[in-house]
Amino acid sequence: MPIFDSYVLKSSCDEMFDREKKVKEPWSEILHKLKSAGFSTLEEKQAEIDWLLEDNGVTYNIYNSVEGSTNRSWSLDPIPFVISELEWSEIKKGLQQRAKLLNLILKDLYSEQKLIKENIIPAEVIFSHKGFSPEVYDFGLRDNFNLYFYATDLARGPDGKMWVINDRTQAPSGLGYAIENRLTMNVIAKELYPDIEIKKLFFFLEEFKNLFKKFKHDEDSVAALLTPGPYNETYFEHSYLSSFLNIELVQGEDLLTKNGSLWLKNLGGLKKVDTLIRRVDDRYCDPLELKSSSKLGVAGLVDVIRQNNLNMINPVGSAILENIGLNPFMEKVSQYFLNETLILPQIATWWCGQEKELEFVLENLDKLIIKKIDRTESVQVYFGKKMSDTERENLKNLLLQNPNQFVAQEEIDFSTVPYYANGTIEPRSATIRTFSLKSEDDYSVMNGGLVRVSSIKDALLVSSQKGGTSKDLWILGKEDLEMNFTNIFENSKYSDTFINNLSTLKAENLFWLGRYLSRLITTTRFVLHIVKKMSNFYRYEGITSKESQEILQKSLTHLTMTYPGFFNEENKKKLIRNPMIEIASVVKDASRQGSLSFTLSMLSSTNINLKDILAIESTKVYEKMKKEWAIFTKKTSYSNISMANDLEKMLVYMIAYKGLVKESIYKEQGLILYDIGYNIESALLLISKARSILCWHVEKSVEYDILEGLLNSQESFNAYRAKYKSSLLLENVIEFLIFNKQFPKSLAYRTNELLNELKLLPKSKDALTSYEKPIAHANELLKSLDIKNLIKMNDNELIYFEFDSVLSQLSQLYIECSNEFSKTYFSHYDE
Amino acid sequence: MIYNIYHKTVFHYQSMVTFSHNITRLKPKESLHQKLLDFSMEIEPNFYEEHEFVDMFGNTNKHLLIREAHQSLSVTGKSKVEIFPEIISENINAIKANSITYSEALQRLSKFQINDLAAKQFLFESELIPTNSEAIKLYALESFHKDRDLFEATNEFMGRIFHDFEFLSGFSDVTTPVEKIFKAKKGVCQDFAQFAISALRSIGLPAKYMSGYIETLPPEGQEKFFGADASHAWFAVYIPHAGWAEFDPTNNIIPSGQHILLGEGRDYADIAPLKGVVQSSGSSYLSVMVDVKREENNAILKMQKGQTQSQNQSQMQIQTQW
Repeated sequence: MPIFDSYVLKSSCDEMFDREKKVKEPWSEILHKLKSAGFSTLEEKQAEIDWLLEDNGVTYNIYNSVEGSTNRSWSLDPIPFVISELEWSEIKKGLQQRAKLLNLILKDLYSEQKLIKENIIPAEVIFSHKGFSPEVYDFGLRDNFNLYFYATDLARGPDGKMWVINDRTQAPSGLGYAIENRLTMNVIAKELYPDIEIKKLFFFLEEFKNLFKKFKHDEDSVAALLTPGPYNETYFEHSYLSSFLNIELVQGEDLLTKNGSLWLKNLGGLKKVDTLIRRVDDRYCDPLELKSSSKLGVAGLVDVIRQNNLNMINPVGSAILENIGLNPFMEKVSQYFLNETLILPQIATWWCGQEKELEFVLENLDKLIIKKIDRTESVQVYFGKKMSDTERENLKNLLLQNPNQFVAQEEIDFSTVPYYANGTIEPRSATIRTFSLKSEDDYSVMNGGLVRVSSIKDALLVSSQKGGTSKDLWILGKEDLEMNFTNIFENSKYSDTFINNLSTLKAENLFWLGRYLSRLITTTRFVLHIVKKMSNFYRYEGITSKESQEILQKSLTHLTMTYPGFFNEENKKKLIRNPMIEIASVVKDASRQGSLSFTLSMLSSTNINLKDILAIESTKVYEKMKKEWAIFTKKTSYSNISMANDLEKMLVYMIAYKGLVKESIYKEQGLILYDIGYNIESALLLISKARSILCWHVEKSVEYDILEGLLNSQESFNAYRAKYKSSLLLENVIEFLIFNKQFPKSLAYRTNELLNELKLLPKSKDALTSYEKPIAHANELLKSLDIKNLIKMNDNELIYFEFDSVLSQLSQLYIECSNEFSKTYFSHYDE
Repeated sequence: MIYNIYHKTVFHYQSMVTFSHNITRLKPKESLHQKLLDFSMEIEPNFYEEHEFVDMFGNTNKHLLIREAHQSLSVTGKSKVEIFPEIISENINAIKANSITYSEALQRLSKFQINDLAAKQFLFESELIPTNSEAIKLYALESFHKDRDLFEATNEFMGRIFHDFEFLSGFSDVTTPVEKIFKAKKGVCQDFAQFAISALRSIGLPAKYMSGYIETLPPEGQEKFFGADASHAWFAVYIPHAGWAEFDPTNNIIPSGQHILLGEGRDYADIAPLKGVVQSSGSSYLSVMVDVKREENNAILKMQKGQTQSQNQSQMQIQTQW
C-alpha cells in the first residue's frame, strides 16, 4: 500500500508536497525510501528509536512531581525535516545577520544606548521590559559581553520562506536534544535512508568546545554549566551537554564568590571557574543583586562579572533580547548598524506603545494574536478570534492601560510536515530551533537543529511543555570539511570518582546523611527500649523500677535535646502519670526540633540531594519508610504496645536503608564522609547517654535496670554478655562501652576509627589538622584514664563527678572536630 | 547648612554566620545642592574583601564579603553633608516657572524627546511597585486634571496623602503591597512614597523613590537623644520641560533644606541601605539607629516635626544544616 495515499494537505503549504501533491525536490529521495520501506519497516524503526531513547535515559520533565515518578520520555519521529543545501545557505545568512544584530543591540543597550538616543528603538520598549537589568548597565562594551549562544525558532510562512518566530537568548535549550536526536537517527538511517548524505553537527560542537578553550584562564581553571538542578524539566539536557562539552555540571550551591572570582567547591579545595554557561534565567543568577529570593544562583555573581573575572554564556542582561517589542524595529536597527535589509522575514508585529499601531490593533483585535513583550514572568497569548465579547473588552482595557507592554501579531498559517503516528502518516505543523554560536567576528550556525511538532493535528502552538514530539533536521549535502574521527561524539569525560573532585555539596550531604541516620537509629532504639520497659513496669510494682524509668526518660530528653521535656517541673505530675504523651511527642511531632519526625525530615533533604549517587534501591526503601512513617505518625493512640510494634517496624526500614547506603558507594566515592558523620554522631550520642545514665550513683537494683537499658539501647547486651559472663557491673559496662578497643560500638573504637578515616581526606597532612587534633586528644585521654579512679567517690555524693567531667570533655572534643571539619571542607574556611 | 549623620544597621543572627555577602548603600549622593564633606564607614566584624561601585542610578554601592565567624554584623555610616537651601529654592522656583499642564506632559512623553529619555526608566512597574489597580489611578486623577499645572497638581496630591493617610508604624514592612496601604490608608514614610510613585506612574508620569534622612526636633523643653532619628523616604515626579520635583507626603512639605538625600531609585529595593545573603540556620533580626544633627550653633529654625520611620529591611537567608 503506497504509504502517502491518505496524506491530505491541511495547510496552504506543505514541506514535502506542492499543491498538486507533487513531491518537492529535496524530499524526493526520502519519499522514495519511505515508500520502499512501507509502514511495517517504519513501525519497526519507530520502536527502535523509542528503545534507544529510553535506554539512553532521554527524558523531558524529569522528576516533575513530588513523587518523582512521572518522567516523560522524549519522542522522535523517524521521518526527518529536510532542507536543501541551497535554501539552508540563505537561511544561515539570515540567522547570522540576526545574531549579529541582536548582539549589537545587547551591547548598545548596556553601554551608550544610541538606539534609544537616536530614536531607533523607543525607550519604552526597553524600560518596560523586565529583562532590562540595570545592574549590568555599563558592561556592554567589554570584549566578553556578547550574545555567544543564540537559538532561533523558525517556521515556513505562506510565502514559502522561513520566518523567525522566536528568539532565545538568555539560556537557550534544545541543543542536547538535537544532538541525541541525531545520534539516534544515525542508527536507523543506515537501513531506512541509505545513501542520503547530510551535513554533520560535529564542526559546530567542536567550535563550542574551542570557545571554552579560548576562555580558559589558566591551567587549573574550569568551565561549568549552571543548572537549576534535578527538578528542572530539561535537567537531562544539562547533564548530557555538560558531559558532551566536557565541562562541570554545577548548581548554585556548588559555587561561591570571593576575591572577585567565581569558585567551584570540591572536597579537595576551590577551583576557579572562568566560564559559566548557564541554564538559569537572568534574574535568578544572583540573590545578592538580582532576585533576592532565588536559590538557584550564586551570591556575588554580578560583582564577579563587574570585576571582569568571568565569561558568561550568555551574560546577565540578555533577557532584554527576548522581547517581541523589538520586532517592529528590527528593520530600522539593521539599517542603522549594518546598512542592510533583514534577510529573514518576521511575523508582522505591532507594538501597542505607539498611537497609530494601538488604534489599528484595537480595530482588528479579532484577526490578531496579542502577547506581552515580556516572557520573564508568565507567557500569556490571546487569540483574538477565539475570544468572547467580554474577554475582548477586558483585553482592550488591558491594552489601553499598559499599551507599552503589548504587541499584536498576525496569525500565520505555517507549513505542515509529514509525521508518522498511529500507523499512518499525517501532516502536522512544526517549528525548527536553530543554534548559532559567536566565533570571532561572525556567527557559526549548526547544520541541523531541533524540530518540534505540534501534539495534535491542527494545533497552532508548538511547545515541548505541552507534550508533542520532535524530529531531526537534515540539511542535505556533502560535508566539505574533513572530520577528525578520533573523538567524535564520544563522551570523553569519565565519571570523576576521586575524592578530591567530589563536590562540596555532595560531600556535605553525605556527612549529614551519616549524622542524621545515626541520630535516627540511636534515638529510635532508645525510645523503643523505654517503651518496652514501661510495659513491664506494673508487673513488679517495684519502686526501683520507677526510679530507673525516670532516669531513662530524662536521658531521652538529654539525648534528643527536646528540653524541657521530662525536666518540666510544672508538668511533673502529668509526666509521671502518663509519660507516653511526652514520648509520643518526641517521636512524632515534626515541628519539634530533635523529634524523630524532625530528624527524618532533615534526613529527607539530604537524601534528595544524593539521589544520583545512591543506589536506586536505597531510594525506594527510603520512600517506603517515609510513607510508613507518615501513616504511623497519624495514629493517635498512645498504647505502648502499638508504639513499640510500629517503632520496631520502622527500625527495620532504617537498618535496611543504612545497609543499602553503605553498599551503593565506595569510600573514595564519598562513603568516607558518610562514615565520618556516622561516627561523630554515634560518639556524641553515646557520650550523652553515658552522662545521663552512668554518672548517677544509685542503688544496686536501679543500677541494674539502667545498665541493662543502656546496653539494650545500644544493641550491645549480647556482646557484653559474651565478654563479661558475670552480671551487670558499672565498672564493666563503662569499660565495655567507653574504653574497650575491640568492641566496634565503643567510644575508644570509634575514636580510633575516626582518626584513621580523617587521614584519608584530601587535606590531611603529616602534621595533625585542626579537625584531627581534638580526636587525637580524645584518643590520648581515653588511653590515659583509669576506670577505678573515675568512679571513686564519697558516700554522700550522688554523681560520679570525675567521670562526668571526662565525658563532658570528650563531648567537647567531638563537637570541635565536627565544627573544624565543616569549616575546612564545607565552608572552605582557609581558602 | 551642615549635617552630621550617623546611620548604624545591625543584623543579629541566632546562630553563627561564617560567610556572608552584603551590599551597603550608605554614602550620600551628591547633587547641585548637596555636597558630601566627609564620609566613613565602620564594619564589625572586619570584612574579608570589599568592592565599591556606582550603580545605574548614581548611588554608591559597596559589596562586602565577611568570612569571620560572627553572630551580628554591624555597619555604620558616618557622613558630613552640606546642603545649600538657596540653590534648592532657586531650583524649585525654576521648576514652578517651567512646569506644564498634565495633558501637555502626557503629550510630550508620548513622543520622542531626548531630554525625557532618562526619566522614562521611572515610568514602569518595578519590583516593589507593580502595576496598580484602577482605584489608585482614580484617586490620583482627582488631583490631575488635564489642564492643571503639574507642579500644582502634585503639591495638592501630596497634601491629600498627608490628610487621608494615617502615620502608623508597625502596620507595614518593606513587603507590604501598595494596594494594602491604599485600602488601610495607614503606613509610614516608605509606604507613602511608594504609594505616591505607584499612583503617578499609573497616570503616565515618571516618579522615583528618594531615600535619605530628615532632621527631627524633640518636643519643646526636652533634650534630643542620640540615635532617636530614623531614615526617611519621599518621592520625586518628573515634569517634562522642568525637571524632577521632590515632595514629602509624610510631612506635607517640599524638601527645601532639611532633607538629606542618601540615594534614589525606582523603589526601595534599588536603594536599601544594607542587604545581604547569609548562610545560617535559625532566624535573624535587625536593628537600626540613626542620628541627624545640624552643626550650626545658630538658633534652630522653627520647623515642623518630621515624621520618619526606621525602614524595615530584610536579609536573605539560606538555611543550612545544624
